[in-house]
Amino acid sequence: MNIIITAIIATVILAVLGIIFGLFLAGIDRRITARMQARIGPPLLQPFTDVRKLFAKQNIVPANAVSWLFNLMPVIALASSIAILLYLPFGSLAPILGDAGDIILVLYLLIVPSLALVIGGFASGSPYATVGAQREMVSMIAYELPLAFAVILVAWRLMISGVVNPFSLNTLMQTSVWDVVGPLGIIGIVILLFLFAWITPGELSKVPFDSPEAETELAGGILAEYSGKNLGMFSLAQAVKTVAIIAFGIILLLPWNLSPAFGLSGISAGAVDLVFFAVKAIIIMILSVTVIKTMMARFRITQVVKLYWFVFGALGIIAMILFVADAFLMGVL
Amino acid sequence: MIGDLLTGYGMWNPLIWLVVIAVAIIFAAVIYKLGEKDYDKDTEQIKPYLSGNDEPPKEAVHIRGGNMYFGFTRALKGYYDKLVPLHSGIINDYISWFLIGTIIIFILAVIL
Repeated sequence: MNIIITAIIATVILAVLGIIFGLFLAGIDRRITARMQARIGPPLLQPFTDVRKLFAKQNIVPANAVSWLFNLMPVIALASSIAILLYLPFGSLAPILGDAGDIILVLYLLIVPSLALVIGGFASGSPYATVGAQREMVSMIAYELPLAFAVILVAWRLMISGVVNPFSLNTLMQTSVWDVVGPLGIIGIVILLFLFAWITPGELSKVPFDSPEAETELAGGILAEYSGKNLGMFSLAQAVKTVAIIAFGIILLLPWNLSPAFGLSGISAGAVDLVFFAVKAIIIMILSVTVIKTMMARFRITQVVKLYWFVFGALGIIAMILFVADAFLMGVL
Repeated sequence: MIGDLLTGYGMWNPLIWLVVIAVAIIFAAVIYKLGEKDYDKDTEQIKPYLSGNDEPPKEAVHIRGGNMYFGFTRALKGYYDKLVPLHSGIINDYISWFLIGTIIIFILAVIL
């Protein structure tokens, strides 16, 4: 089938599935957070109810807002989050647009929903939202450094091992970085896994990296003036982005599938691998979002920058040294 | 494929991305249309939320471009404190830095 027609159909299908799975992940997150705090917590489908409620509420546009930008940005945030899904594999299902973009593109596309949020915050005309938008921009700059380390190091290690097209997501599906490294490289990958676990809450503005929203300090910050369906759209965008960033982490660092172990092929292999992908996604979300946000308080924005640039930047450099030493010892450098 | 941009290492096709983002925007707009659009325009609900405080004059809460990256510049204060004075605005200073940099690179290139 023509790739354009495939892309159009896949966009709608992945949008629906991304929203459902993302809201389901949010439900699990809230439930486990509650259990860790000795509460019962809401039902797993509570985020669906919340979004439905928001769509029934009044959609207030503040007097100071630039109304067209204020109303447009929630739509752009959701649309740009959906677009990322087409470049990512899910289990053994190859990315729909695996030949039309690579991991560097995904790296940039992940920025677009956050940028829409920033523009929406500035367009609110609220002091709280303006401060929140400014913090979101700084957060984006901060977590890009360790994220770039994780992406570039994986691709570089594959490239010097003779893998063709190391930045391609199709290549990452076929060749895991775990298969080409030695003992030092494995330590390097574990460090990258640790980095990714801390990048994920930053990407999603979750505690301790929620200074752009900071409910207790900025009353919701960047989203302070958003209500009704506009806020609902941002909730949906957040849900889809959660799926995207976790799927990106999985293909980069945990790309294994179950079907080869059971000798499966065809539709059964795709189904089993998809379920395995969902299990990995839930575990990653619990470890890197739920546990971290439950056990920590919010970082100040200056602490966010210092942590990502100096602590995680240093860890990235250590991982890089380990990767280079590993490649040298393995005789590929 | 038509429109592929190749860098030697990676690639992307902006035309296909444009098609995808257009479909995604239409999809998102359809969902958006399902929501309630009305609000009470002539009531207090359109005033910015400031925890019950009166809204200060706009110039008092305006964030200037120089403060846009506050968290960043504050976190890297030691770096910026040394770097900012070097930007004297005098072209001779900039040319001097350029020459010094070139000499250092030249020496390193000869040694290595």
